[in-house]
Amino acid sequence: MNFDPDTKVLVQGIVEPLGSVHAALMKEYGTNIVAGVSPGYGGQEIHGIPVFDLVEQAIPVMGAIDTSIIFVPPYQLLDAALEAIAAGIRQIIIVTTGIPPLDMVQLVRQAEATDTLVVGPNCPGIIVPGKIMLGTHPGHLYLPGSVGVISCTGTLTYEIAYELTQAGIGQSIVVGMGSDAIVGSSFSQWLQMLDEDEHTEAIVIVGETGGNGAEENAAHYIAEAIDKPAIAYLAGQHTPQEKRRGHAATLIASKLSVKEGLTETDDWGAERKIQAFKQHKIPLADRPSTLVKLVKKALSAKKK
Amino acid sequence: MDLLEYQAKELFREMDIPVLPSQRIDRPTDLKGLKIPYPVVLKSQVRAGGRGKAGGVKFVENTIDAVAAAQTIFHLPIVGEYPEVLLAEAKYNADREFYLAVVLDAGARRPILLGSKIGGIDAEAVMEQMQLVVVDGEFSPFYARRLALKMGLEGNLIQAVSDILEKMYQLFVQKDLDLVEINPLGVSATGEVMALDGKVTANDDAIARHPDLVKLVTKTSNRPQMTSSIAQSSRTTEEKAAEGDFPMLTLHPARDGNIGVLCNGAGLLLTTLDLIYLAGGKPASFLNIGEAILQAWTPTVLCDRLERGLELITRDKNVEVLLINLHCHATAGDRMAAVIAEYWQKRASKARLPNDFKMILRLVSSEFSRAQESLKDCPVTIVENLEQAIHQTMGLVKSKA
Repeated sequence: MNFDPDTKVLVQGIVEPLGSVHAALMKEYGTNIVAGVSPGYGGQEIHGIPVFDLVEQAIPVMGAIDTSIIFVPPYQLLDAALEAIAAGIRQIIIVTTGIPPLDMVQLVRQAEATDTLVVGPNCPGIIVPGKIMLGTHPGHLYLPGSVGVISCTGTLTYEIAYELTQAGIGQSIVVGMGSDAIVGSSFSQWLQMLDEDEHTEAIVIVGETGGNGAEENAAHYIAEAIDKPAIAYLAGQHTPQEKRRGHAATLIASKLSVKEGLTETDDWGAERKIQAFKQHKIPLADRPSTLVKLVKKALSAKKK
Repeated sequence: MDLLEYQAKELFREMDIPVLPSQRIDRPTDLKGLKIPYPVVLKSQVRAGGRGKAGGVKFVENTIDAVAAAQTIFHLPIVGEYPEVLLAEAKYNADREFYLAVVLDAGARRPILLGSKIGGIDAEAVMEQMQLVVVDGEFSPFYARRLALKMGLEGNLIQAVSDILEKMYQLFVQKDLDLVEINPLGVSATGEVMALDGKVTANDDAIARHPDLVKLVTKTSNRPQMTSSIAQSSRTTEEKAAEGDFPMLTLHPARDGNIGVLCNGAGLLLTTLDLIYLAGGKPASFLNIGEAILQAWTPTVLCDRLERGLELITRDKNVEVLLINLHCHATAGDRMAAVIAEYWQKRASKARLPNDFKMILRLVSSEFSRAQESLKDCPVTIVENLEQAIHQTMGLVKSKA
């Protein structure tokens, strides 16, 4: 993981409405955006960022690029990501939403083969407060500090960061992984990275009671492999939920007709997720303000 | 999008997956021109499972019985769904039945092949024998043979079943499917295999790049609502948004409560609902107007969705207090506030007011003070802190009681 302020960043799809707006915001936050790519716009400049037709044209001019942030339309995403990997870029953040899952399967295979870190799709990306912002996080809500946040939600990620900041708890890094059925990197990958990160003293997991089993797996992984204090917040613990929420992360396997006779509901069982955290004695909050208290407690226990 | 059995079988036929001779029946009288020799099976074409147990599948021996059975099935709803068409299919004498499927597994982040030596409707028995192979790298037929062996198949059946699986996998990838399932795959006494029933689910995000699938489903649908929902899903998010049509705006008329909740983001909505329940409140309707991260996103689009959302949620007569919780970043918060101000102006100009309700706006935005300014003449309480917004909401609910 390489998220230093001097890390070189490229924006693919910089002429898209979303790409243009966020390129400007990232630059304003201090992110070192060295180039943009949008085929047909080579030679132009956007917000003072030079635009190229191809990723490989930017590299001889700008030197090796560490991270690409992608805003291209969904059916062009796989191609854009493969182009970045082929050009030697090893960190990719996908903001685009609506990507066919089988495109993600192809991308994940290539990313694993080349040891490329992929975050997203459909995600806010990564922010190291005060240093670098890669994605769509609202920078003014964050505060530099020692708590790492890993989330599979969108605007709720901003909410949690805001609550921590309001309470004077700074963040070492905040990662929004996205919540699609197939995502580039998972809770366990990020837990491992933050466990090794010297700037992180405690780790916060943000998820939901519905959707797939990602949060449950995170609980088991924390118990097995994580030494630093970890605290979780799951949204939806007090809300009776319908069979399927509007999240892409519904358990696809539940579509099997053969299971219809077996399971009463499609709900992954909020109870099961909650139990997983309780079983491993991982502090679990049921509202953001409680999460703040639990994080404070974990940090002060560490100091002793 | 779930395809009907006869549509799935049309895809199987294109892939050379063996299926029985069959004919689509649009009305009972179609059976007089049946080209398949009796006995035949009449099957209700609905998306729900369990149609056999519900009486949606009947064996018939002659035209008179067939017409009568068809009339019965056309009038039989299965999980609330009436069939638009039936499928008449030759009868098959299966010696054994298997289960086969290709599906995407989120945990493995790969397609998986599933197979069971027991197929059919006894789900528990099918699951008990279920075997699984993860297609880790690029697909090659050995993955299919690996599953056939795991299923405990021997001799010629290994190749016969692997061939079917290979074709299922090709279909899965070519058409961007979420699921291809054959249940049961009939096996005759001579070792011939036949897809007796099939299920195909197309991926909603990918459907716009498969006009052939859209055509397959629309050309046979006489129901206007079905056709429009397919037309809906065959357009990109961008096209939908450009037309001011936001499919994510599904209003959930929730419960027997009196608090309306509108948020941008599913997780944020869940958190807000949790807090209302914890404070002893009860939601009436709730609505997620979507994250700002849409491909077609512009500040205007999110504003349009807010406008449309307000219109939707205030139709619910049970809403006495409406809590709006928004994180507006890059989408200027003051523009969102302007949408709300306009809403109140429109209301004021109407002679007959719709139901009367109170509004709380919780806004996180760098434009907070400008938003406050633009709402100063509206009956809206605007706050920045979430717990405080909940507190205010509950206060209003109680004052109305």
